[in-house]
Amino acid sequence: MKRGEGSTKRVFHYLRAINAENIKEWKIELTYKPDFIRQFIEPFVYLFPYLLYGYALLGGRYSEHLKDMTGIGDMVAYTFIGYLFIGFLNTACWAMGFSLRKEQWYGTLETIFVAPVPRWVYVAGMALHSTCHQGLIMLIQAVVITTFFAIVLKMGGLFPALALVLLMLLGLYGLGIIVAGLTIALKQWWVVSEALSTLIVVVTPIAYPLAVLPIVLRKASMFLPTTYGIMGVRHFMLGEQLAVSLPTIFLRLAIIMVVWLTFGMATFLIMDRYGRKKGSLSVY
Amino acid sequence: MWVVVEEVRKSFKILLAYPVEVVFWIFSPLLWVIPLVFQGKALIGALSSTPFGALAGTDEFIPYVLIGAIISTYMFSAIWSMGNSFRDETYYGTLEHILSSPVRPAYILLGKGLYNSILSTSFVIVQLLICVFIFGLEITLVKVFPIFLFLLLLIAGLYGIGFMAAALTLLIKEAHGVLHMFEYVLFLFSPIRYPVEVNPITRAVSVFIPLTYALIALRGLLLDIEFNFWKNSIILLGIDCALLPLGLLIFHYIEKRTKTRGTLADY
Amino acid sequence: MIDNGAITVEGIYKVFKKGRSDEVRAVDGISFDIKKGELFGLLGPNGAGKTTLIKCISTLLIPDSGAVRVAGYDIYREPLEVRRHIGVLTGGERSLYWKLNPVENLRYFAALYGVPRKHVGDRIDYLLELMGLTEKAGARVEKLSSGMKQKLSIARVLVHDPPILLVDEPTLGLDPYFARFIRDFVKNELNRKQGKTILLTTHYMDEADELCGRIAFMNRGRIEAMDTPVRLKRSMPQKQVLEIKCQGAIEKEIFDRVPDAAGINITHSDGFVYVRINTDNPEMILSSMIELIQQKTKIFSVRVTAPTLEDVFVDLTGASLRNGK
Repeated sequence: MKRGEGSTKRVFHYLRAINAENIKEWKIELTYKPDFIRQFIEPFVYLFPYLLYGYALLGGRYSEHLKDMTGIGDMVAYTFIGYLFIGFLNTACWAMGFSLRKEQWYGTLETIFVAPVPRWVYVAGMALHSTCHQGLIMLIQAVVITTFFAIVLKMGGLFPALALVLLMLLGLYGLGIIVAGLTIALKQWWVVSEALSTLIVVVTPIAYPLAVLPIVLRKASMFLPTTYGIMGVRHFMLGEQLAVSLPTIFLRLAIIMVVWLTFGMATFLIMDRYGRKKGSLSVY
Repeated sequence: MWVVVEEVRKSFKILLAYPVEVVFWIFSPLLWVIPLVFQGKALIGALSSTPFGALAGTDEFIPYVLIGAIISTYMFSAIWSMGNSFRDETYYGTLEHILSSPVRPAYILLGKGLYNSILSTSFVIVQLLICVFIFGLEITLVKVFPIFLFLLLLIAGLYGIGFMAAALTLLIKEAHGVLHMFEYVLFLFSPIRYPVEVNPITRAVSVFIPLTYALIALRGLLLDIEFNFWKNSIILLGIDCALLPLGLLIFHYIEKRTKTRGTLADY
Repeated sequence: MIDNGAITVEGIYKVFKKGRSDEVRAVDGISFDIKKGELFGLLGPNGAGKTTLIKCISTLLIPDSGAVRVAGYDIYREPLEVRRHIGVLTGGERSLYWKLNPVENLRYFAALYGVPRKHVGDRIDYLLELMGLTEKAGARVEKLSSGMKQKLSIARVLVHDPPILLVDEPTLGLDPYFARFIRDFVKNELNRKQGKTILLTTHYMDEADELCGRIAFMNRGRIEAMDTPVRLKRSMPQKQVLEIKCQGAIEKEIFDRVPDAAGINITHSDGFVYVRINTDNPEMILSSMIELIQQKTKIFSVRVTAPTLEDVFVDLTGASLRNGK
């Protein structure tokens, strides 16, 4: 009898399982067609109130005050970039956090848990699926909004912006796996997801620069990947003036990514062990 | 009537088993106001805006948004609580027993609506107290009677919407997404966060939403903004008269259809 | 360390806390060995701890103490290797993705189990044919009957060709036709032909009697007896069973004064009540039994039979397989 899988073979096995999870979710999602279409329309309906609120305050889309603070006077362009990329927060707080619960609702949780892959693989599969899904929505949103509002983006900044988005995403995956772990222990897990995503939205510079936040919230935002991701992307795509240098942004984001991912995995493994000891898997 | 009271009692007992949810529902509307406050500060560098005043009747956008957030609690809890009520019963495993009992489901829904109104009112009171004592919101409560009148008129219309939402959850298995979308649409087209006059489309659609008139009136009463009392109350009453029977009618039709086609078990 | 036993369980305990002071000893110091190629049955009423034990062996639950080795791998230190060598089949229908078709389901599980890509297509074709599901390959699972879903669940379990199968109440809720098919398949195809080691849990004594080479009686988290079905039945001190079929309500206590009658078991089936009494002298107690029962109910038939596994279970535990406790 052969003793275990080799490490290279194991890595390929896990990657294949992650992709299988991704494909399975696409297939299931496509069976609910109206809901699938709704998910592509919803981000627009979500964004417009923030823009209309800005219009009501300014009597137009140009803000002298915003220009002084950030170097960008166009409220629409500024807000839109923020809301575009915060969409990935859904990947962490909802898609990843929800992944094990979803399997429980399908009735397949215990069936997949006896497969020879670690449990984080299912959460990672959901992360891949949601990133693709969210990416597609963002692409459509970006094309429609930039055309509709005649926003000019600096396309030369696209690749460094994408590099930042990648780092931000990895940091968010760390957050997502923490939420996924907490769902094992908490009955009202959705409150955690909802509260966490609301608080992150508050302290992330989506529609306003960090300078308007009280000092405590500003400090809190320093620990979030979304803060540096969105600030950096706006710098590359719209020319936002940064309070910190670009290398600092990359460095901080990289550190945050490592910390969140490590903390996330540790939390998940502890919670998974707790679930298997308490027998709370079936009452998730 | 006894069924309605029992339904209210049962719903409160179930709610009290989830204290974290209660705290969340109280603070949630206030939490989403915070980004709007910061956005306002970033865009105009002050807490009042003249263009906003020209549209809303008050330059101070924070009280405006806070009142919108608090009063919209009624709307959203009607959609979620009444809309999801039968969905919840499927999770408890009691839906088929309820729908096969001799009691008309509309009474049960009415009980859920009443529970929802009592709950929302207590949430609204707590939220107002938080706003007044913590955030320093200045409101005038001298016109207590008209405030209650408009709240009643709003709640009555919301029962109609709640009946429709409940019918929808009987019809569509995955209604959660649709209800979410409905919530976003209401955010967009009613003056919760901004005066709908800012855009011709939002202004046109908002005339069909009862929350629009209730918000105009309640903001007028609480923040001392001039508004047409009779016009708003009569329109709201008219919408109530249309929404309530329409909601009941749709609910009865869908309930009958679900029973005939035997799709309850598909849940 | 690889040993010859397929599954070795040594003194495992699993206690669930219910509230602050209440606790349930679901598995209470169980030990047994299952050899390669054996079809071993765990027989016990609902709540006996069978499913908890299966969950411990399959790494879904971590036992409080004790040792378990599966295919030579330790469940604590090598859970992934344990899972690679087992297939877990549970009763009920919800172990598949209902919105996917059988091929999509099997393809997904093949990826999870690391079945080499080049073999996946052939393996799925083979399994669908084996289970008679080839024609349903493209239909969504939600459109299949309960029996077909259970057949597909078996195909899912076999997708990585595991040497050991943990089968938990496989015929629960199935109609007699599919239940018969599943039993024949488990015994003849999986155990005899493919040589798989099978640990089967059931609360149907006929199923255990028919399928298993060895049986362990489980009650309240403990193993009360373990042997072949024939030896278990021979171990009964009373060699005959008097069975009275009647209709109405009967309490066990009315038989307290019947001489030479041990292990009285009352079960309900198809609207009838069956009173079974283990005895060496059925003729001697017959008249007193009839007299007692006639006072309460109407008697339909009386017969004397050889002891079944259920009679042995009642004799050992005082509990019924069907009613528990």
